[in-house]
Formats: sequence, structure tokens, C-alpha cells
Amino acid sequence: MTQTPIRLTVNGRIHDVTAAPETPLLYVLRNDLQLNGPKYGCGLGECGTCTVLIDGTAARSCVIPVGGCAGRDVVTLEGLGTRDKPDVVQQAFIDEQAAQCGYCLNGMIMTTKALLAINPQPTEQEALEALRYNLCRCGTHVEILRAVMRASGRLAEAGN
Amino acid sequence: MASPLSNGAERPSGSLVVVRTVDEVTSETFVRITADGSVNAYNGHVDLGTGIRTALGQIVAEELDVSFARVVVVLGDTAIVPNQGATIASETIQITAVPLRKAAAQARHFLIARAAHRLELPAAELTIEDGLVRGHNRSVSYGELIGGETIRLELADDAQVKAVGNYTIVGQSMPRVDLPAKATGELTFVHDIRVPGMLHGRVVRPPYAGVDAGPFVGTSLIAVDESSVNDIPGIIAVVRIGDFVGVVAEREENAIRAAEQLKVSWKPTPTLPDLADVETALRANPSTPRTLIDKGDVDTAIAGATTHMQRTYVWPYQMHASIGPSCAVADCSDGNIRVWSGTQNPHVLRGDLALLIERPESEIDVIRLEAAGCYGRNCADDVAADALLLSRAVGRPVRVQLTREQEHAWEPKGTAQLIDVNGGLNADGGIAAYDLATRYPSNAAPTLALLLTGRISCEGAVLQMGDRTAIPPYDYDHMRVIAHDMAPIVRASWFRGVSALPNTFAHESYIDELATEAGVDPIEYRLRYLKDQRAVDLVNAVAERAGWTPRPIREEKDGDVVHGRGFAYALYVHSKFPGYGAAWSAWVADVAVNKTTGDVSVTRVVAGQDSGLMINPDGVRHQIHGNVIQSTSRALMEEVSFERGAVAAREWGAYPIIPFPDVPKIDVLLLPRPDQPPLGVGESASVPSAAAIANAIFDATGVRFREPPFTPERILRGLHGDAAATPQALPAPAAPPPSRIWQNPFAKRAGIFATIAAVCTAAVGVGAALWPGRAIAPIARPGTSVYSAATIARGELLAALGNCAECHTTIGGAINAGGRALETPFGTIFATNITPDVETGIGAWSYPAFERAMRDGLHRDGRQLYPAFPYTHFSKTSEADLQALYAYLMAQPAVRATAPANTLAFPFNLRPLLAGWNALFHQTREFKPDPAKSEQWNRGAYLVESLGHCSACHSPRNVLGAEQRDAYLAGGFAEGWEAPALTSLSHAPIPWSEDDLFAYLRTGQSRYHGVAAGPMAPIVRDLTALPDHDIRAMAIYLNSFNDAAADAPTQDALAAKLEAATQVTVAASSGARLYQGACAVCHEVGGLPLFGSRPSLALNSNLHSASPDNLVQVILHGIAEPVSSDLGYMPAFKNSMSAAQVEQLVTFLRGQFAPDKPAWTSVRETIARVRSSTH
Ligand code: FES
Ligand code: FES
Repeated sequence: MTQTPIRLTVNGRIHDVTAAPETPLLYVLRNDLQLNGPKYGCGLGECGTCTVLIDGTAARSCVIPVGGCAGRDVVTLEGLGTRDKPDVVQQAFIDEQAAQCGYCLNGMIMTTKALLAINPQPTEQEALEALRYNLCRCGTHVEILRAVMRASGRLAEAGN
Repeated sequence: MASPLSNGAERPSGSLVVVRTVDEVTSETFVRITADGSVNAYNGHVDLGTGIRTALGQIVAEELDVSFARVVVVLGDTAIVPNQGATIASETIQITAVPLRKAAAQARHFLIARAAHRLELPAAELTIEDGLVRGHNRSVSYGELIGGETIRLELADDAQVKAVGNYTIVGQSMPRVDLPAKATGELTFVHDIRVPGMLHGRVVRPPYAGVDAGPFVGTSLIAVDESSVNDIPGIIAVVRIGDFVGVVAEREENAIRAAEQLKVSWKPTPTLPDLADVETALRANPSTPRTLIDKGDVDTAIAGATTHMQRTYVWPYQMHASIGPSCAVADCSDGNIRVWSGTQNPHVLRGDLALLIERPESEIDVIRLEAAGCYGRNCADDVAADALLLSRAVGRPVRVQLTREQEHAWEPKGTAQLIDVNGGLNADGGIAAYDLATRYPSNAAPTLALLLTGRISCEGAVLQMGDRTAIPPYDYDHMRVIAHDMAPIVRASWFRGVSALPNTFAHESYIDELATEAGVDPIEYRLRYLKDQRAVDLVNAVAERAGWTPRPIREEKDGDVVHGRGFAYALYVHSKFPGYGAAWSAWVADVAVNKTTGDVSVTRVVAGQDSGLMINPDGVRHQIHGNVIQSTSRALMEEVSFERGAVAAREWGAYPIIPFPDVPKIDVLLLPRPDQPPLGVGESASVPSAAAIANAIFDATGVRFREPPFTPERILRGLHGDAAATPQALPAPAAPPPSRIWQNPFAKRAGIFATIAAVCTAAVGVGAALWPGRAIAPIARPGTSVYSAATIARGELLAALGNCAECHTTIGGAINAGGRALETPFGTIFATNITPDVETGIGAWSYPAFERAMRDGLHRDGRQLYPAFPYTHFSKTSEADLQALYAYLMAQPAVRATAPANTLAFPFNLRPLLAGWNALFHQTREFKPDPAKSEQWNRGAYLVESLGHCSACHSPRNVLGAEQRDAYLAGGFAEGWEAPALTSLSHAPIPWSEDDLFAYLRTGQSRYHGVAAGPMAPIVRDLTALPDHDIRAMAIYLNSFNDAAADAPTQDALAAKLEAATQVTVAASSGARLYQGACAVCHEVGGLPLFGSRPSLALNSNLHSASPDNLVQVILHGIAEPVSSDLGYMPAFKNSMSAAQVEQLVTFLRGQFAPDKPAWTSVRETIARVRSSTH
């Protein structure tokens, strides 16, 4: 079946994706674009492991068809930074050792990124509420919360 | 420490290895040092997210005197690592690290001896720094000492290891080596493995969800209809072996679709034990008693007790609940079989895979990559076997990802447990005796594919696993402990703390009960019986750190929220009985209990631990955090639900785990014991959890809870008696009632068809047997130049207003080419082809023929059309507009397509009768403006009543399917959805206003009503073609049927009030928990913005309606095609929630968000109807 390619920007690069428009964005990112950051956790928008940013807003890529992302700007974990040049949020999570198995890490980092974009210096309570629907089974919550606070501290210092 | 993945290629030069010879051909390597100075360490265990990779690297670096950064730890590749069994029971550091440590020490001794020789200096005068041996200003590196040689040392058990006092790396907190890769999205997880040519597989599991023992296992499949997935592109294979069913596709989303769509029929599962009442089920399960200890004279001591205390403690089934459902890739494409897996026991898995496909183990290489944390067992092995079967079937590499639903349903559960304790107090307040019996239905949870394919027996094995920490840590004079070993009831396996956690729940609750009865502080009471000095030290240290004050504190505990604190202690004794101890652990838990809502929050935990020598103290601290949080979650909220004996919880709403805001403050106390051997820390801190929390709840409320989870319902029942309903067995699934296409008075009543026939016949007279109209001669298709571009463009707008394409196009089909099935209460009507194809479409229709169809409902050939085609509305269209519409349709590409024949029941299949229907219900006349009304109103009325045909759905219909004229826009049903009233009869809590109507029709969303879904979404999407002033006119006209006028500030204030009053703060029912787990992320007011809209349920019209249809529709089917992507999407829950769960959810939502409306009475029937209908 021939399909019209869907054009979207991912991590700053334009991609023309040939997939059925109802295909969840998650599978396009993982399979067509070979990205590892967004993870499948539930496919129902419940857990947050698949979180990406779409036009700067946190989005659960497992429940968003790629057709709905046409013309939009998608950022994944890979788009934040690299091992050598991590983003401040990534660095904060590394510094705080904020992972045990790390499967939830993508969602935690991307959600933090989205939170700090609208609230650069959240209180602890605000951070807890923002992450309420991101599940972590390993019980890394303490370290993750510290990472969020650390990242926001840095952002503030940087006059962001 | 370097990343293991960056080290693929072997260096060509010499090397030193320390090996253990297994037999003539096999040996296992522990350490390899190569001439370039790099060090590889091999361990048979795997890192389950606990950080052992880092800790093992520290141990090797320490013994070898190299920097931590130089060591690469290789875990879990069966081709290269030693077989050290499964990664279980906190053994890695305590047991399996021992040979590795010795091997490293042995290598150092060898190299230093060689250096002494090379440098001609006594070994004692040499120092080593990061693999560089120095002495007297000369130096030589390990690499140079090895050179081009291949050195092979046999592991010596007596290798001298370093004294703890000399440690510089072990005992230091070391950052985890795996984090930078995980935080930046590098390849670390098995989920991320991509092999060239890889296909995607999905499995379809049998209906006996989560049950793996019984004669029906592997024998229940009747048939698989492969043709049911023929329409899905790129399907490579459908595979079935026994009860194993899988699909393989080129693309993952197509494999997902195929697995959902594949028609598979199964035999009914025999009646399974009812697990709504775990205690009864466990007592009824046959068991064999095994005495673990029988000391003193228990029976006499109990007989002589002054206070008798017989107690029962019940532990529920729980889930490991990995955040990432299991995944694996298998490749059988060339002779070598390779399986990438997240398994925790690569060697055992390899054995299973060999058995499964009847090949020797040596042909299979299992490569272990990290996966989501599993805390015992998940489906990692199962999915590896699934992938192997599928790859073998197609001869190409296949990746299989289990779904969330499959992982929830089929993961081997943490098993339920039942503990009876008998005993009591002597007159002096001392413990008379302790007589404990524990029932633990464990099993080995054999790899599922072995069972499903019938390769192994489906009889559940009886394991001896209920005995972990079954003997209390207290020195009771008269003590008897019996483990009742039993077969599994559902698929189960060890879960963090295994049976030790429930056993400790009993020990530590019971001693608390004794202390209360004796009137002694519970810590003081414990210390009377605790003889182990390390335990005593720990208990004292934790009590001091927490600022423990002797209990009970007789303070007034009035008010809603009461506070309490509880203590518990355990030495986690694991592995085969009598086993050995891991780290010592003690908790002081603080709780706040809301006596009105039943909500328990654990506000603070002081967790103390004696872990012996800590390799990586930060790692230990993180493990304690993880254990405290996870076990608090287990104690407060976790319990697997079952329906008819099968696992019912298939997503996070049905099995919630602790969210961020509920996590307690944690204060970790690490006892420094560098002189003692290191102990496992992966589980110990979980073990005292539930008892400490139960003891704290008792301290707060004076009520003893002996069965976790401590949910609000259970707490309320404990505090206020049994007002709450006891769980009831589910009724057998109801036969789906007939579909509700329109408001349905068409239930099959005797004689109704005859009546209808009679009414219609009477209305039209006797000539009814003839076609009512004459044929209009065919014409040649008009040329495209006949009409102006402007006329055609206007026609396009009008086609959008009339939603022509919606009915006249099949899903994925050519536009307007017909064929879409329209279900009506009278049967199925197939929409016709309205493209200008001469033979199958309307290409041969003259304008008069077209106009007659639009106004009178007659086909060009004179045949009567069914009023599913809304000619009763279209007849009101102006001549000019009909001309434009004709022009547009004729200018479109012709598509050759014949619609299937209608399947209507008698008498509706008699078209002539429709003439009678027309006589009764249809007036052919153009729209006449009302001079008393404004021009805009009249414009709106024209659009709404003619081509817009709003009332076709939004008005109720009579018994003959005609709109009721006296109930214009009073609400109707269409395609299984309610089309709500647009008049003052609307149930919406905030009345519609002109602006809301405009916003809704323009964008598909109104802040005060919700988003357009179901059949309304495509309508609003079509309306985007219309200019704002037409939409405004429609809003003005529709709003004129609303009496209540509301201005924006009033609406806002009302909205805020409704939203504030309905906030969900406590989840005190299954329905509430489903809401919190599944819905709240996108619907709870005030949450973090997510892509798309955040419709407020308190204001949503559907929740306030008289019928639950739309709510049920949207929960089951979601919103896949919103008006615009800006509104976001909603997933469908029909494959993730059972009918009973949807019923609980819908009932909760109604009660919570429309509290002033009566409960719906027809929820169950509606769910059955919507589930069975095609919409
Ligand atoms: S995978 Fe998307 S939210 Fe769970
Ligand atoms: S670190 Fe494992 S799920 Fe969060």
C-alpha cells in the first residue's frame, strides 16, 4: 500500500515518515527513526515511559498517532543532549544517580523538561504533583525528586 | 568503569585469564586481562537494576589494584560468562562475587610475582597503582607483563584476598556506570536491540489469564482464522502450536493490529478457584505440612497460657509489576541461534529454549541485556521463548514485545500467603508459646511457551518456599513452625522478600499484639526476646534515630486525622531452608490515618540496616529507598484482582502502585560494619514494611489490621464495622442486548412488523406494489466546463455541511464511492456510490434526477430511497445550493464501485412501503425564512435544518424511525451514540450558550461541555470548510432553543465550583482507582499540561446525561480521530479493562462528577451492548 509520507521534525531534523497515519508516534520514533529514548510501558497513556515533547509540551507518544504530528516539532531524550554534552536535566539525573533499572528514566527526564519549561523553579510539592502520573516501580522517587530540584536550581542560576 | 557495550572486539595480543575448568572441553572465565591493560570481569548473575554491575566492578578493581574505570563487567552472555544460576535471593554480592574476587586477587599475585622477577626486586617492595607496578623508580605495567603470551590460571580457592583495612575502592560510593547511557538514550535495554532484517512479533495468550496449571493448559485452542488478518499489510506468518499463538509482521504496529484482530476460538476454561476470598482458597488448596522447628512443649504451654491469642494473617496476590513489559529478540536465520533477553537467569533460560525447540544447548547463545526492574520474576523468559518460536517459524530475526496487558496478566505473581499463629501470654506477661503455620502456594512458573506448546507437563510443582524467615527471630521457649507446602493456584514465583515478607508480617504483628496485651512498649518487649547482638544494636540505633517514645501513648486522638508510629524488625533469612541471613533491617513507620475517608498515608520511615561491609554505600542507600517505597506501596495499595479465577488487572488503574506525592520521607540509617562480610541488600529493607505500617495504624487507631493492602475501604470497615459490601462473585457474562442504533423502541415485540406494514400500506393505498416514481432518462455525464469554478467550490462547502462523504465513504475507501454499512433498527443499509461514475454512480443523473432524489427520496430509476438518506432535510435546500452541490459532485473523479445489497428485514425490504412512510412523515418543501427572526437566525436555521440535518440525530425518532416533530432537537441516538439534546432539555451542568456552541462547532471543543467524539467528530471536521459567519449563524439558531442564558463569568464561576467540589482526593473504590490510574493523567483538573486538551469531567455533558452510552463508548473505543490533532487523542480501553472494571469506572465517574444526578441503572447492559456492536 502506498502512503503519503508524513512530515515531522524530530530532534531538529525533518523526517518524511512512511507509515499509516494511525500508527502511534512511539513506534515510528523507535522503529523508523531508531530512537531508544521513548519506551513502551503501557500503550494507554498511564505510565509516562514513552514521553516526548511535542511543540514543547509533554506528550505520551504511545497514544498519539503519527498522523497527528504532521508538521509538528518532536523532541526525544536523544534530542536533549548526549553523554558528552548532556542537557542540564540529564546531568542532574546522572548527578543524583536517579535510576535503578532506569526504564522510567526517559519519562521522568522528559516530564521534568516540560515542567521546568513552564515552571522553572517548582516547589517540591509542585514537582511531586507534576510527576504523579509517571510511574516508577524501582522506588527511585527520592533520587528523581532531588534531580528535579537540582535541575531547577541550575536553571535558575543560569538566569533561565 | 567502561561501558560493556563499547568493548565488542577482542584485542589481538596476549592475555591473562583466570578460569575454572568444568570438564575436558568446558571452562568458565572469571577475569581476563589483555596486553593493552584492559580488564574484563565475568559474572553469571545479571544486573536487575540494583547496581551490581558497579559493585562487582569495584570488587575486581580493588583486588586487582586497577582503577575502577579500567574494568568492564560482563554479565549474562551464556557464551562467555560462568553458569552461576539465577539472579535471586540477594546472592550476587554475598555468594557469586566470591570466585570473581578470588580470581582478581590471584591474577594480582601472579602479576606481582612476575614483576618482582622482571624488576629484580622483592615483591614486598613493589607498589601497584592502576595496573602499573613500581619499585625503586622503575615500573612495569600489567600489559607489559603479559605481552604476547596467553596465560591461563586455574582458579585457586585459597587465593589470598586483601584485608578490608587496605580497601580504597570497595566501601566508597561510586556513581553507577550505566546511568549516562540510560539518561541520554544510548542502547542499554533489550527493548532497544535491532538486528538487520528484524521482524516484529506479538503473541495472543489464552483466556485462562495467569493460570499455568491444569489439564486445560496447552489444550484449549480450537481454531485460528488466519483470514481474519488478511487485510493487514505486511503479515509474514500466523503461528500456532498447541495453545501458543503468535503473529509476525514487517512493522510493529501491524503485528499489534493483527494480534488484536486475529480471530481465535478457545474452549471454555473450567471453573477456577474463586480468589475473591484468598483465605478460603488457600485453606482449600491441598497441602503437605513440613515442620521447620518444634521446640519445648508448645501444646502444654498454650494450654497453660492465661491469655490465649489465636490470629490469622492474610497476604494478597501481588504483582512484580515491571514498568517495561518484557521483550526479546531471537534470530534463527543462520545455524547459530541467538536470543537477546532481559532474563535474570541466562543459563537456565538456555536450557529451557533448548528443550522447547529440541536442539542442543550448545547451539543457543543467550545474550542478556538490561530490562526493566523485575524484583523477582517477570515475563522476560517467557517472551524469549515466544520470540524463538516465531523466529524459527519464519527463519528471520523476530522481536517480540509483550503488551502491558499480557505482562500484568501472565507475569508469575508474588503469591498469596496465609499464616495462622496460635499462642498467648503467661500471667507474668511473657510469651507462653508461638505456634505458626504458613501456607504458601508457590510454583516454579515454568517458561510459558513450554506449557502452551505441551513440551512439559502442566501439573503445578509443589516447591518448598513458604519457609523463608518462617522461624521468628525471637527466642521463644516453646515454638513450633510448620510450612504447608502446596501447588500453585495461579502462576506465581518469588517476589522481593519471597515468603519472608508475609511471614514477618505475622511475626512482627503478633509480637506487637502480645506487647499491647502485656501493656509493654513493643520495642522493649521485643528486646526481651532478641538475643542476636547485631540485631539488638540495630533495633536500638533505629529507635534512637527515630526518637522513639514508649508506646502506647495515651493521647486524645480526636479529629479526622490520627497519627501513629509502628516498629518492625527482621533478619531476612533466604534460600533453601534453613537458609542464611542477608542484611538485618528495622523500620519505624509514621502514619496518618483519616478516619472519615479511610486514607492511610505513610509519612515517614526510618529504615536502619546492617549490611556488613558495604561495597558501594550509595548503592546500598538507593536499594533501601527502593525497598521502602515499593514495600510501602505493596502494603497500602497492592492486590491482584481476579474474575472467575483468572487475573483481571491488566493495566495500572486496576493495579495501582504508589505515585510520587504518596512516597514517605525516608531516613536511612546504615550501620557501619566494614569488618563483617558483605551481605545482600536487594530485599532486606522490604521485609519489616507491612508489619511496621500495620503496627503504626494500630497505634493511631487502636484497630488491628491483619490483611494488607490497607486500602481506604478496608480501613473504614475496620474502624466502623462491616457497612461496606462484601465482594460478590461476578454474574455470568450477560448476553449482549440488541444494538441501540436509535432511541430504540424497536425491541422485538411480537407483531410490530405487521403493524408497521399495515400502517404504511394504509397510508399509501393499494397501489403500493409499484415503484412510486417514474424513471428519469439517463444522460451523458455533464462536462466539467458546464459549471463555474466558483459554483463547484460552493458545492464543496455544501457537501461538507451535509457530511455527504461521511456516509458515502467506507473506512479507507475512495471518497463518496459508497459501500459504507449503515446500521438501522430495520437492518443494514449500504450507502450508494455518489461519484459521477456512469454505471455504478450518479454519472448518468441529470440535475432533475438529482434534485428529485434530494427532495423526494427517489432514485433516478424511480425506486424509493430509504430515509437513512436524510432527504426529509435535504428537501429544504434552495435550488441554487442544490445546483452547486450537483456541480461539485459531477466534477469529482468517477469511481467504479457497486455497493453491496441492503440486508433489511421484512417488511422494511419492501421499498414501496416507504411511499406510505413519506405520506406520513415527509413534506417536500424548500426552507421558508421566518420574517420575525434575524437574518443570521434564519441563515442558521437554513443550514441546520436543510443540508446540516442536525435533528436527524439530535431529535428522538418514533416507532417508524421518523423524527418526532414535537421533540425537535430534544436528543436522540445515532450509531450507538447519544446525540444529546440541544435545547433546554440538555443535561449539561452548565447551559449551552451561543459562544459555546460556536466554539464547539468551530473547534470540536467547549470548555464547559467537552470534546466532540464518536460520529460528531467527523461532522465538526467537515464544518471546518464553512466560514465563521455560517458557524456563528448555526450557533445563534441552535442557542435560540435554550431558555437559560448564561454569561461567561457566571459559567466560569459555576465551572470552578463544580470542579472544586468533585476533585478526587481519596481513591476509596476500585472505580476510583481505575480513574486515578487510567483517566486522571489527562482529565484531573490542574495537572501538568499534556499534548492535547484536558477535558474536565465535572463539566462533561456525557457524565450528566440520562444514559451512560457516550461515556461507555468513549472509554471502550477512545477518540482516535478527533476534530483536530490539537485536541489530542484518547486511547481505547476495551482490550485493557474487563466489563466489570468498566462498570466500576463508569459508576464511579457518574457518582463523582455528576453527584446531583441519579446513578445510572443500565450501565452493565450498555457496556455489553457497546462491546458487541460494531461501532
Ligand atoms: S507507554 Fe505511553 S504512557 Fe505508558
Ligand atoms: S528506575 Fe526502574 S522503574 Fe524507575
